[in-house]
Amino acid sequence: MAGDGRRGVILAIGSGINVPLTLLIALVKGVLLLVVLLTTAAYLVLAERKVSARIQLRIGPNRVGPGGFLQPAADAVKLIFKEAAAPEGRDRLLFELAPGLAAAMALFAFATIPINQTICINGRGGAGPLSAACPGGLALHWDLAHLNIGLLFILAITSIGVYAIFIGGWASNSKYALLGALRSSAQLISYEMAVSFAVIGPVLLSGSLDLERVVGAQHGLWFVFLQPLAFLLYLTAGLAETNRLPFDLPEAEGELGAGYHTEMAGMRFGMYFVGEYVNMVTVAAIATTLFLGGWMAPLFFLPNWLGPIWFAAKVGLLIFVMLWIRWTYPRLRYDRLMQFGWKVLLPLGLANIVVTAVFVALR
Amino acid sequence: MTALFGVAAGIAFLGALGVVLARRTLYSALSLIVNMMALAVLFLLLDAQFLAAVQVIVYAGAVMVLFVFIIALLSPGAQERLRPLELRVVVGAAAAVLFTVVVVRLTLNGITVTASGHFHGVIGPFAPALVDRHGQVQTLGEQLFTTYLLPFEITSLLLLVAAVGAVHLARSRRPEP
Repeated sequence: MAGDGRRGVILAIGSGINVPLTLLIALVKGVLLLVVLLTTAAYLVLAERKVSARIQLRIGPNRVGPGGFLQPAADAVKLIFKEAAAPEGRDRLLFELAPGLAAAMALFAFATIPINQTICINGRGGAGPLSAACPGGLALHWDLAHLNIGLLFILAITSIGVYAIFIGGWASNSKYALLGALRSSAQLISYEMAVSFAVIGPVLLSGSLDLERVVGAQHGLWFVFLQPLAFLLYLTAGLAETNRLPFDLPEAEGELGAGYHTEMAGMRFGMYFVGEYVNMVTVAAIATTLFLGGWMAPLFFLPNWLGPIWFAAKVGLLIFVMLWIRWTYPRLRYDRLMQFGWKVLLPLGLANIVVTAVFVALR
Repeated sequence: MTALFGVAAGIAFLGALGVVLARRTLYSALSLIVNMMALAVLFLLLDAQFLAAVQVIVYAGAVMVLFVFIIALLSPGAQERLRPLELRVVVGAAAAVLFTVVVVRLTLNGITVTASGHFHGVIGPFAPALVDRHGQVQTLGEQLFTTYLLPFEITSLLLLVAAVGAVHLARSRRPEP
């Protein structure tokens, strides 16, 4: 009887003030996502410095707080209070706009990544990966915005992120910034192709662009085992998309000053910095979703209801690999970088699509 | 929903105005991107999520990146102001009016207004019932490769011709190594 009463209340909420409730849930999810992503980005900087220190047999930052734990806060305070020097002759509007766009697009891209399976509140059908499996109840998606083309949304937002870099470099009225912006936009556009080709494999296998369904299709066998080539292609192109070594030519310190953000100081630089680290999290999260089974437990006897924990663990593992690679490989020369993208990654991606399509058609 | 539509439509309108009115060419291009993004939001409001994503990826992303690149590199100066009765202004205005008439006429085709003031259209291949049953991408793909196969192939041929032409132009300038 008590159960029935509760169902009545929630159904009343569901039918009466459905729209405000949906908005409230979206607001809470948005704020949570923002806090978690920004904190992760801040501590990723610390992690990067700690990992690089270990690899180089140093200790790393250890003065601010126990074991350097409060270093990100100190860094943030420094960035905020630093003098924001700006060059003469800049395009004032675009110069202010570009860093914000970089950070915003990086955060925005995470919106459609599901970090747990949909939970059905008070409906028939129980928990399941599909929204259709929750009649009469409230399906709680664990992503900010549930789109049935979630993967394309991420690709779209990434393609807008290119403007932040190009416009920032162009508006600086500086040759180093412009050259850096040109290089990095050319690199981003080239490697975006490789990313799009790599993600088609899992999409073909799962038959959906809905990221929840892609994860659901990996039940029992993750796509990394069926699509090892696509996984490698995605990780490689993802490194290039986030401007990380060995593909960090946009900001090759020895050659270009600091690339497109040479003239950006203080929090303007900070925004690009945040965007870059959030992008790392996003790339790792997409790789986890498409290839590593998303929220699913890594071993069959482990409980699946710890979804977000498994998700975070997989993302953390991939990010560690990205940090590790930085201190293992030297930087590529620019022409080699472009050749590698167009003549190696792209044909391999195309071949992978053809083989996967034939496999799916004959299955 | 209606409020969102108003905001998105307003931004699209302002973006379109910016394309025409901006003095600096790069600002025109950026306004066009704003306009395209706002159109993508309108597609989202119509539940056409796939079209919205494609709109951003293809138009706002791929096509406009090249525009912005070329404009920023060639850095043309500010445009001179057009005189109101110049020939190209008159021709442009006539084309705009003609285009508007055609679009409005096509949109109104088969739409009836009920007594209560609601609009009713013809049930096309992208009706919500069909899209819900088959999924958006599937419905669109099926239509592209059956009903609209000929226009689809002709368009791809056009793109291929453009690509071959671009390669030819780029190569003919340079002497063989």
